[in-house]
Amino acid sequence: MKPSNLYSMLVALALYAASTLVWAAKVGEPAPDFTGSASSGQTIHLSDYRGKYIVLEWHNNGCPFVGKQYNSGNMQRLEKQWISRGVVWLTMESSAPGKQGYVTASQENDYLAKVQASPTAALLDPTGAIGHLYDAKTSPHMFVINPQGILIYDGAIDDKPTTDVNDVPGATNYVSLALEHAMAGKPVPTPVTRPYGCSVKYVDSTH
Amino acid sequence: MRTWVRGLGGKEALASVLVLLFGACALANGAPIPHGTLELVAENPWVAAGRQFNLGLHFQLEKGWHIYWVNPGDSGEPPRVEWRLPGGITVAAIEWPTPQRFQSSTIVDYGYEDEVLLIAPLNVDAHLGQQASIQVGAAVKLLVCSHEMCVPGKAELSLTLPMRPDSHAPDARNGDIFAATRKSLPRRMPANWRLGVSQTSDSFVVTADLGHPIAGRTIRRAIFYPLVESQIENAAPQNLISQASGFQLTLRKSDQLVNLPERLKGVLVVSFGSSQPDQAYSVDAPIKHAAPLSPGDVKKRGPALGIRQNGQSLPIQSLKEEPQI
Repeated sequence: MKPSNLYSMLVALALYAASTLVWAAKVGEPAPDFTGSASSGQTIHLSDYRGKYIVLEWHNNGCPFVGKQYNSGNMQRLEKQWISRGVVWLTMESSAPGKQGYVTASQENDYLAKVQASPTAALLDPTGAIGHLYDAKTSPHMFVINPQGILIYDGAIDDKPTTDVNDVPGATNYVSLALEHAMAGKPVPTPVTRPYGCSVKYVDSTH
Repeated sequence: MRTWVRGLGGKEALASVLVLLFGACALANGAPIPHGTLELVAENPWVAAGRQFNLGLHFQLEKGWHIYWVNPGDSGEPPRVEWRLPGGITVAAIEWPTPQRFQSSTIVDYGYEDEVLLIAPLNVDAHLGQQASIQVGAAVKLLVCSHEMCVPGKAELSLTLPMRPDSHAPDARNGDIFAATRKSLPRRMPANWRLGVSQTSDSFVVTADLGHPIAGRTIRRAIFYPLVESQIENAAPQNLISQASGFQLTLRKSDQLVNLPERLKGVLVVSFGSSQPDQAYSVDAPIKHAAPLSPGDVKKRGPALGIRQNGQSLPIQSLKEEPQI
């Protein structure tokens, strides 16, 4: 291998590492903007919602950890509760074609109707571009953005990392905790937690 | 089913049926779990009162599927075991073999594929000697994943073992897998090794001194598996530097690390060369403070760690002085 090739490979590697590890969304910093296609057919820009609290929910309809939240009706309740208080709720679909949780727009709309979920929008991200921008690792993986556009929560849905529906009632919900505190002008007590769930089923990368 | 067979050519259909049959045979004897079987096995054919004996949870998985280590990494969850034991029998913690890394995209998980035995040591009270046999059982909940999907499963397992007054004899069928599994358990570090863990603002630095020059015995690879979640960034490269009498391994701190741990715990797998098998060692070492500016400053300076929220640094818990190794 010629030294120049090696050099450009190293540069590419460094850039890749930087893009995935250093520039991913960080609590306390501005949430990265993105543009995405919703299952409704709309094009959504995150910046359209500046001035509102925004919840990003990484989703995969086949993942048992997601099933725990939806079969118990917990995620639908949370959506309704917070949307009624002016929060924007975006359900994110980053599964690659052929993998668990991949949906077309009409499949997603059917799913939302079936489980009676009503997010502000469900975004289709089959390339994983938005997922990688936020370094979304699991389904579910939850993010909360404040009206100034600052990321104020990054992590798990709650403090019970299991697939057991019986664990929902006694759990501390970190998304509600973040929103309640932030809306009351208080600091978020647990701004970063370890997300738990299935790995996000991204497009295979070649490295 | 009929349509499916008709859709294939005759030979392919026959081959598929054979694969199904032999696949099923290879996974015989256990309770079904998603994409595999799980069997409760005993190392010895009987148990003796007043002695320890070993049970094992033997997982056999189809190709491409895995279960998780005690720290699953970025996603997944470890098998959860609820033992069903008669009075007078107590169980100690599961002995977890050294895991593998499963990387997909930027997500790194720790677990096992193909086959794994999770060994649990049990103690039998001396007063149980009157009984002819004992029944032990386990309710297991687990998550089985491939790179494409995850499936939850559970199994209820039980085993009746005769009680005999005399000591153990190895079971012909199961003794081998217990012996093989013990080889893959992390072991204590050699007595002449010295391991230190220091830290920078974004990393833990593990320095191993092997107590003698290692020229000609280069460390080819070293990988640290963290026992505790959210301490290191699982997907970050672990930077290995060979030194005259050892090596240094730099581990990037997790973005989710809020409170600085007092100790670094996990498994360190070291590869000395292609002719030697990898060695897995248990690590449980205190983490040194950043060096103080002067002796009087020790109490005042905290480590440079904290997560920023709205531009402000959040306080983190202060640390006690730890003795250095």
